[in-house]
Amino acid sequence: MSATKNVHDVRIIVFACRWCGLIGADGAGRERTALPASFRVIPVECAGFVEPDLIIRALADGVTGIAVLGCHLGGCRFSDGNHPALKRLELLRTLLDTTGIGGRRLLIGFGTAHESHQFAEMIREFHRELSELPSPGTWLAGTMKRQ
Amino acid sequence: MLDELKKKAREILKAGDAQGVLGLKRGLFDVIHPHVFTAAEELDSLVTEPKWPLAKTARAILRDRPGDFRLAVAARGCDERAVVELIKRNQIDRERILILGYTCGSEQAKACLCSRPWPEKRVAGDIVEGIDPLADDRVRPYLEGDDRARMERWAEQLRRCIKCYGCRNACPICICVPCKLEDDLWVERGAVPVEMVPFHLIRAFHLSDTCVACGACQEACPAGIPLMTLQLSMREALRKEYNYEAGLEPERTSPILSDFNREPRPGQALPDWIHTMDRKT
Amino acid sequence: MSTDFVRTICPYCGTGCGIILRVEDGRAAATYPDRENPVNRGTLCVKGWFAHEFVHHPDRLTAPLLRKGDSFEEISWDEAIGIAAERLRETAAKFGPDSIGGLASAKCTNEENYLFQKLIRAAFKTNNVDHCARLCHAATTVAMVDTMGSGAMTNSISDLAGAGCILFVGSNAAESHPVLMGEVYRAVDAGAKIIVIDPRETPVARNADRHLRIRPGTDIPLVAGMMRHIVDIGLHRTDFIAKRTENVDELTAFLHEWSVERSAKETGIEAAVIREVAETYARSENAAIVYCMGITQHICGTANIHALCDLAMLCGHVGKPFSGIYPLRGQNNVQGACDMGALPGVYPGYQSVADPAVREKFEKAWKTELPSAPGLTVTELIGAAGSSVRALYIMAENPAVSDPDVNHVMASLQRLDFLVVQDIFLTETARFAHLVLPGACFAEKTGTYTNTERRFQLLHRALEPPGGAKGDFDILCLLGRSFGLDFDYASPGDVMAECARLVPAYGGISFERLEKTGLQWPCPDSTHPGTRFLHEGRFTRGLGRFVVPRYVTPAETPDAEYPFYLNTGRVFSHYHTGTMTRRSPFLIREIEKAYAEINPDDAVALGVGEGGGIRITTRRGSIVTTARITKRVDKGSIFAPFHFTEARANALTNPVLDPASKTPEYKVCAAKLEKVPDEAG
Repeated sequence: MSATKNVHDVRIIVFACRWCGLIGADGAGRERTALPASFRVIPVECAGFVEPDLIIRALADGVTGIAVLGCHLGGCRFSDGNHPALKRLELLRTLLDTTGIGGRRLLIGFGTAHESHQFAEMIREFHRELSELPSPGTWLAGTMKRQ
Repeated sequence: MLDELKKKAREILKAGDAQGVLGLKRGLFDVIHPHVFTAAEELDSLVTEPKWPLAKTARAILRDRPGDFRLAVAARGCDERAVVELIKRNQIDRERILILGYTCGSEQAKACLCSRPWPEKRVAGDIVEGIDPLADDRVRPYLEGDDRARMERWAEQLRRCIKCYGCRNACPICICVPCKLEDDLWVERGAVPVEMVPFHLIRAFHLSDTCVACGACQEACPAGIPLMTLQLSMREALRKEYNYEAGLEPERTSPILSDFNREPRPGQALPDWIHTMDRKT
Repeated sequence: MSTDFVRTICPYCGTGCGIILRVEDGRAAATYPDRENPVNRGTLCVKGWFAHEFVHHPDRLTAPLLRKGDSFEEISWDEAIGIAAERLRETAAKFGPDSIGGLASAKCTNEENYLFQKLIRAAFKTNNVDHCARLCHAATTVAMVDTMGSGAMTNSISDLAGAGCILFVGSNAAESHPVLMGEVYRAVDAGAKIIVIDPRETPVARNADRHLRIRPGTDIPLVAGMMRHIVDIGLHRTDFIAKRTENVDELTAFLHEWSVERSAKETGIEAAVIREVAETYARSENAAIVYCMGITQHICGTANIHALCDLAMLCGHVGKPFSGIYPLRGQNNVQGACDMGALPGVYPGYQSVADPAVREKFEKAWKTELPSAPGLTVTELIGAAGSSVRALYIMAENPAVSDPDVNHVMASLQRLDFLVVQDIFLTETARFAHLVLPGACFAEKTGTYTNTERRFQLLHRALEPPGGAKGDFDILCLLGRSFGLDFDYASPGDVMAECARLVPAYGGISFERLEKTGLQWPCPDSTHPGTRFLHEGRFTRGLGRFVVPRYVTPAETPDAEYPFYLNTGRVFSHYHTGTMTRRSPFLIREIEKAYAEINPDDAVALGVGEGGGIRITTRRGSIVTTARITKRVDKGSIFAPFHFTEARANALTNPVLDPASKTPEYKVCAAKLEKVPDEAG
């Protein structure tokens, strides 16, 4: 299992709440900041919308890492939707760590719409870390259909 | 201990506090199986061995009976905690169930990796100390080492899964209809070996804050997969961060369902306004 | 209102897991595993967990039915028994006793099967009684008797946990006998090596140390190559062979013809791998051979088993704990149906009908004369339907879906003068009947099943049969009495008592003694604790006999017109002809539509996507089903589960029989594959 990967092997899905997270991400794109091309953004109404099961399913399907972007605690558009989001996602991280999949595959980023620069840096950093993780091949040795 | 339990159970039936007592019966030829005792005399054949989780069965019986039927349950600590969680989730009406709690011995606690081998509503038995599952040799290999080592260990076990749904069927908390594990969108249907990660991690995570560590899941697993161990680090995280353990506080909703004001944790600040983006490492 | 928890045994496979039915006011509401049962110890497979679901299905037969033209009319029991008795008597009188045949049931209890074979023999004076074991483990009963004197699993299921090497040959236990995989994994945790021989990558193969994906039908060359290598490097157990066996010279002469290289060429497995697995098996202190349909359902099925027995005896891996030969019996009570003599050549306890002393014993006990000539097998009975066989009594079997070449089977059934079918649903077979008798399911009877490890286990009746349906025991007693037989048994326990008196190996079996944990035969008397493993010290026949396996290539292999190998078998969430599982909502949801496995390369060549329509055709027939694309099957191979009556895999299979066992070659035939255009809209 090679430790470093071709940059094209790293696939990241970003769930971004459409208030702070998405606008921040969008801003990074507009500024033409250098970003790894290997990610897709899925807008959600709030970080609290992101079912942890989606993250599990994405990892099983071979996605390298998942990022969930939302507003700062205290700054949630829906007042406290991001609280249980943070709690749940961190608990999921514990499970991912226990099973050796690696909690590092989950990035949780809370910010504001104006922080596109920080957003870009976070994604770049995440991408770098993921490139160094070994491929979770064993886990994906799943059922006959997905072979 | 058994005599005290029988005595209490007889009293309950005689007083009409419950119309049935769910427990284990030693029948003819020494066979043991669950039974709903409806007459005080019947309780002579009540036994407490072997361990036989009954919380889920209690829920099923109550659902099948009219609203005036009350059920007492001869319950170990784990069963009581499961009942507490079911009550919290409106699966059992607290007015219709009575716990006749009895303790487990240290042999049983060791066998079950149990840290709390006693019920709160105890009517029989003496409390013995439990063990710390996280320090046990049966659990440690699955929680230590690097990512790769842990992943290998878990994959080696989970690939044995034959999709019997026993873990889900036996778990007192797994009562959802429909169950996500049966949804083809989340877990591929009709195939064995099952997709390890979606089936087992979705189930484990759904139970993250409700698992009472009763062990019914792994006892029901034909392949002997250490399923309870999958839950232990999440239980520990909840204990450390929120001082929360499922099944102990009937009035307290799971902390991860609410905000940090109501269920705070140490080191978690709640500013109104922040200068920079926060990466939660 | 009442809640009852009733202990009984799962009706599905031969593992024989203990279950507890929760009955609420006469309805089976849930199934729980019996934590006290030594076989499954609180675990179940998915079928077992939902064993209650089909019990109250609206399709359950509730009244006897008489054919009137193309439909059925409900009649009373008196009429039904009267008609059955009259028509069967009439047929026997006109065409002779051997014009009647009976198919007993591997699903019904021991007591019911005992009564069935007694009825056929005592009332009709014919030995034309057989059942579906013919289609699966007949090869086992013949071959293991040849080599060891007894056709039963040599050890207990729990013994697997102590084996250092487990060789799976044609067994997908993870799907067909899931619960016993627990013992296998216990062995693995203790360091055991798992070797799987199977053309297909089953879940067992995926978790194995070695998977030998052999060319279909080449099991004998493989085992011969293994044995040759074992002898060449001196790993065979010379003292065991000298003291406990005979005829090794014939075997070694045979092995001279099978160099490892020749074996490699014939099987498609590398010589180095053959040597490696041979050594792993031979060097283990304890080694087990687990096998199932993959090796018995061949034209040389009996010979295949000879080869396995030879291998075990060569290495001394039999007659002691943990080591042995483990044929996994399919049906919940196929072992029992065989034990109870629902076979054309033997009475209960495998005592030969042709042996005058034995026959006399049974004639005395049953107070009647008995025929001396062995009868016809299932496949022969169906084949002779309309010619020498004019009437059939079929109890809880479904040959219209489970026998090979079903189109031919259905045509044969229609040629019968009289067909009476007893079952819980109007099966595909029952549709051809002149008379249908509504029987009871497992939850509605007390009696015993015998699982694959020879364990008699007790069922307790939890419910009443629905409507006017009757327990099969009751129906057989009514019929027996209408033929003047002394079928006045107060209960199934009395039937077992009678059987125990006539079969020394079951002498110690009684319902009371079975209550706690069951008993494994041989159990000759009422203090005997049952037998965990066989052939200790001596084989049942005395010395173990090496029998040279006669290798025959499959009858029909791919050619230009039919270029695919067709294999058939089971899947985890359905059972056999689907009469029960495909009426269970949970199991239906798991696997709903008919499908067949095809290799991705073949799918691409055909232009078929996942779930796309495909037509599979053989010289027997053609079915339309959906494609499941997977690398589990090799390019050029198809695997079709036989559970789907709307796409009957057995419309395609080859009815050619192994001459020794009369078992059809279900596992190999030639097929062609076409894409079916998608329906519009």
